[in-house]
Amino acid sequence: MEISRRLLGKMAAALAGATMLLPAAAGAQDKPAPFDNPGDVEIALVRYLSTGDFFQAYLSGVEKQAEALGVNLRVLDSRQDAALQADMVDQAIALGVDGIIIQHGLTESMKEAAQRAVDAGIKVVAFDVNVENEAIPQIEQSDRDLARLALEQAIADNGEAWTAGYVYVAGIAPLDRRDETWREFKEKYPGIEEVAQFGTLDNPIANSVANQARSVVTANPDIQVMFAPYDEFAKGVKIAVDEAGLSDSIKIYSADVSTADISAMREPGSAWVATAATNPAVVGEVSVRALAMLLAGEEPGASVIVPPTLITQQALNDGDIKNMDDLSAKMPQFAHADVAVPDWMPLPERD
Amino acid sequence: MGDNAIFRIAGLTKAFGPNAVLRGVGLDLRAGEVTVLMGANGAGKSTLVKVMSGVHRADRGMMMLGDKPFSPATPAEAMRAGVVTVHQNINDGVVGALDVASNLVLDRLNGAGSGFFFNPRKVRREAREVAERMGLGIDLSAEVTDLPLADRQMVAIARAMAHEPQVMILDEPTSSLSSNEAERLFALIERLRARGVAILYISHRMSDIRRLADRIVSLRDGAIVGQFDEKPLDYEGAVNAMLGQNLGLHSIDARAAGAPVFSVRDLRIAPGAKPLSMELGAGEVVAVTGLVGVGKTRLAETLFGIHTPLAGSMRLDGRAYAPKTPASAVRDGVFLVAKDRASTGIVPEFNIYENMSLPFLPRFSNMSVTRRRAERQTAREQIADLKIVCRSERDDLATLSGGNQQKVTVARWLTQPSRLLILDEPFQGVDIAARHDIAAKLRESAGDRATLVFLTELDEALETADRILVMSENTIVGEHRNADVDMDRLLAEVAGQRLEPAGSV
Amino acid sequence: MDSRTADKTPVETPAEALAQPKDGRSLRELAIRYGFLSLLVGLIVFFSLATRGFTSPQAAVFILQSVSITGILALGVTATLVVGGFDLSIGSIATSSMMAAAYVMVVLEQNALVAVLVCLAIGALVGLINGLIICYMRVPDLLATLGMMFLLIGLQRIPTEGRSIATGMTLPDGSTAEGTFSQAFLALGRHRFDLFIENLVPASVVVLIVLAILIWFFLEYTRFGRMMYAVGSNARAAEFAGAPVKAYRIWAYVISGVFASIGGILLAARLGRGDIASGNNLLLDAVAAALIGFAVLGAAKPNAFGTAIGALFVGVLLQGLTMMNVPYYTQDFVKGAVLVIALIFTFALLGRNAR
Repeated sequence: MEISRRLLGKMAAALAGATMLLPAAAGAQDKPAPFDNPGDVEIALVRYLSTGDFFQAYLSGVEKQAEALGVNLRVLDSRQDAALQADMVDQAIALGVDGIIIQHGLTESMKEAAQRAVDAGIKVVAFDVNVENEAIPQIEQSDRDLARLALEQAIADNGEAWTAGYVYVAGIAPLDRRDETWREFKEKYPGIEEVAQFGTLDNPIANSVANQARSVVTANPDIQVMFAPYDEFAKGVKIAVDEAGLSDSIKIYSADVSTADISAMREPGSAWVATAATNPAVVGEVSVRALAMLLAGEEPGASVIVPPTLITQQALNDGDIKNMDDLSAKMPQFAHADVAVPDWMPLPERD
Repeated sequence: MGDNAIFRIAGLTKAFGPNAVLRGVGLDLRAGEVTVLMGANGAGKSTLVKVMSGVHRADRGMMMLGDKPFSPATPAEAMRAGVVTVHQNINDGVVGALDVASNLVLDRLNGAGSGFFFNPRKVRREAREVAERMGLGIDLSAEVTDLPLADRQMVAIARAMAHEPQVMILDEPTSSLSSNEAERLFALIERLRARGVAILYISHRMSDIRRLADRIVSLRDGAIVGQFDEKPLDYEGAVNAMLGQNLGLHSIDARAAGAPVFSVRDLRIAPGAKPLSMELGAGEVVAVTGLVGVGKTRLAETLFGIHTPLAGSMRLDGRAYAPKTPASAVRDGVFLVAKDRASTGIVPEFNIYENMSLPFLPRFSNMSVTRRRAERQTAREQIADLKIVCRSERDDLATLSGGNQQKVTVARWLTQPSRLLILDEPFQGVDIAARHDIAAKLRESAGDRATLVFLTELDEALETADRILVMSENTIVGEHRNADVDMDRLLAEVAGQRLEPAGSV
Repeated sequence: MDSRTADKTPVETPAEALAQPKDGRSLRELAIRYGFLSLLVGLIVFFSLATRGFTSPQAAVFILQSVSITGILALGVTATLVVGGFDLSIGSIATSSMMAAAYVMVVLEQNALVAVLVCLAIGALVGLINGLIICYMRVPDLLATLGMMFLLIGLQRIPTEGRSIATGMTLPDGSTAEGTFSQAFLALGRHRFDLFIENLVPASVVVLIVLAILIWFFLEYTRFGRMMYAVGSNARAAEFAGAPVKAYRIWAYVISGVFASIGGILLAARLGRGDIASGNNLLLDAVAAALIGFAVLGAAKPNAFGTAIGALFVGVLLQGLTMMNVPYYTQDFVKGAVLVIALIFTFALLGRNAR
């Protein structure tokens, strides 16, 4: 907490220097209220999940967009404690913030807390949690689109008929949504034959999935495609495929991306050929922008969808992309989403 | 206060399996009197207490409380009828996490008719009544865990008094108290006596007995062997009765000591104890006897480096000897066969040879790899020497009888030569045959080492040792050569007579 | 074979065991002694018939590989079980050491040897601290190691602010990590030795087998191992026999910590990056293997051979079930069932001994 605050301070200083030169900052008086005086605006990010690269990146997106707007950001992290998360919303209400971003959580525990915030006149947006409230726009990275992009690439690469192994754990909302798309594809393309389904969330997840995948590929050597719509799953499958010496005969399609994933995909002869991903930092930025629109009295829409990007091994190699920064730099559609961007909205500086 | 007994026991027997523990006990307790029950270990004291307090049921015989038959099925029933017991282990009598007030009325909180809700004010009020009646000068809001042992004991007794008992049994209540603390307890007991309670007081401490006893009853081998109620009380007679009449029957060929091996000078082993000195020679077996709780185990463990003496010095083979740990004592050649083999001796998951080689594994290993052949060879020799009954040296210790387990723990320390071999109650829970085997082996192997055996039972000392030292109140009070023992003087010393001349009370 | 338990009844053949009428428990004893091994053989036969590809050298090797990391952790925790303790921190020691290896190579740009040494040092240090807290601060073992577990789960996130470590990652100060996992280090997870078939046995399996033999020999055949058993069975008796009881306890935690850190090294070598993870599943699987080990050969106590068999048992079961396409939650159920059965085996046996 303290470290990230210090970091925030550093970033603030750096950005303050940079923004002096930016027209968006210079034209602060053109912004609608309350952003004509952004130092008085305070928003809170109430998190349910926080550990892992995705959530770190999401937070950095939130921080950057908040800096660009010049508003104060307060981060409340419940560390997967649903009850605590609800309490933290109440805490934010008590602190008198102007807006709240609810990041993940359980519908049951957050629904009432979100309503209390709305009742208190606070603007609220929710990311990846359905709080069943019309006043609260939903920010979504479209899991269905993620799965669709990856599977369309699989069809493009392998034709309409192949044997597949599928990695899935039921009961995890994003995985369930990705699963719906997988089912649709199996119906649409009857040539896809799923011979094995497996998966586990035992951590380290990649290690546990690798053990399972080893058994699956041994028992089903005819598998051509592994659909692993979560990058930890894909990483585990890749280890197993490498260990079994089957990298040439199996192709892995997944969702999500990280620096480690990029290097795994780019290893010589890697079986991991494509992944579809939304940039979590962009999702973070969009969350703040949608909230800012609400505060300015504009309407971002009931559901704000951040479109995903397809990332192929080919594209990574062609662009010599080594990490997430390269990815943002070389694939602009990944670095920035044209979502929730009214004319007055200042955008974070790109490096 | 009537002369008639308020509690009578007649013909009480109790056996556990084939093992008869009580063989027809008859005992009367009178109102307003303290009856002291004396008995050696295994005499049946605790079984008698358990029958009286409803833990066990007697096999035969009867108990009468007043003019009604008394045969409680549970401790609660005995308590309700008016017979309460304060057990030796103080912490069994109080609940540490609660305050004094709650402890005082704890039984009522459990009893039938007490409400569902806890009313602190009512509890405090009832507790204050109890405390005032008993003259208990303890802060009622203190947590029991913060109290010294004596205060906890008083709380336990005061709580027992809340039942208005007719009979109170106190099982070694002073065993963990200092003499100052004990004095406060005695004042409380005198109050109880004045209120007309019949008290059965079980103790080994002669000073307690002198201070409190109106009568003394001696228990031996499950039967009452002596009752003493004529003033002045015959304390030596009581001890004599408790230890048995067959003293002096075992004659032993008492050997003279060889060259001095081990000496102790002005050693103080406990706060307030008088310093003790002794000298042990090569080849002699010396027994230290005395009642339970006079510091025998403390002395044995001090010589073995478990406790540090408060003052004084020890010399072994002419060199200063001051062990810091058992390991350093063993290195110097001082071995201890500790008391209570179950907790300090045997390793139950090990077999016989693994148990025997335990202290000397470096000598049974080559480059730290154990040499099982050598271990087993040594074990086989010891099994033959000590007549250990087993199938082979690979038997698990748990399969052996108590006597044979004890032989293994003794044999453990005989596999290697020692300078001073100390044995603390080596005959505890051992049948006569095994006892003779162990004693014979000790005498035969005495060689040029010194051997010191701590024994509560006088006849065991008489049949084992060349010389007998008597302990009382953490120091040595007498010495006898086992050839011409003056039994009267010995018994007087055991009873603490020499420290406190008769009549001092 | 575990010669210690075996040599207690040196010539017990089935015929002889049955021919002992005096206690009439021979059949039961036989079941207790060989029951788990027979069950293992039965499972292997069953999976061979029920699935494709179960009976091949490759399958045998990857079952071993799948249990190598938990197996190594289990062998370490066996040492603490032997002295009557317990170590809940092994899972987090393993994941912390994985993070440390990644940090040393990727962020500090050091070589494989430095990474391995740092991991081993961390394991030994954590074990030492555990031991000191338990022996000198008198904190009960479960609580001390539970605390250490949480501490390490948090600690491993601090240097990278909760990010996983991979080449090219952005560091907290905004720069990019340029180091890579060295090939020598990755070989620990990926190199395969030839054994009759080319490239058959992975390095991690070799490490598992070597460590299993080492700890087995140490516990069964050296005086230190014997004293550790004595400490676990009756600490006071061991102390009265002149053993430095606290030192043995502390050493047991050091062994456990070092083994866990070796598991972490192999984990890092297999994954090729530093993953944030609590390691709780590693802990649970390792403890399950060690407890199942109690039942092997009727030992009724922690023992290295049993632990190795226990780990193998879990591996065979899970890989076989995965091959049969059984969903993961069923596997947890089966794992639990095996553990319960093993514990019943053990404690039925203990009841017999306590007679």
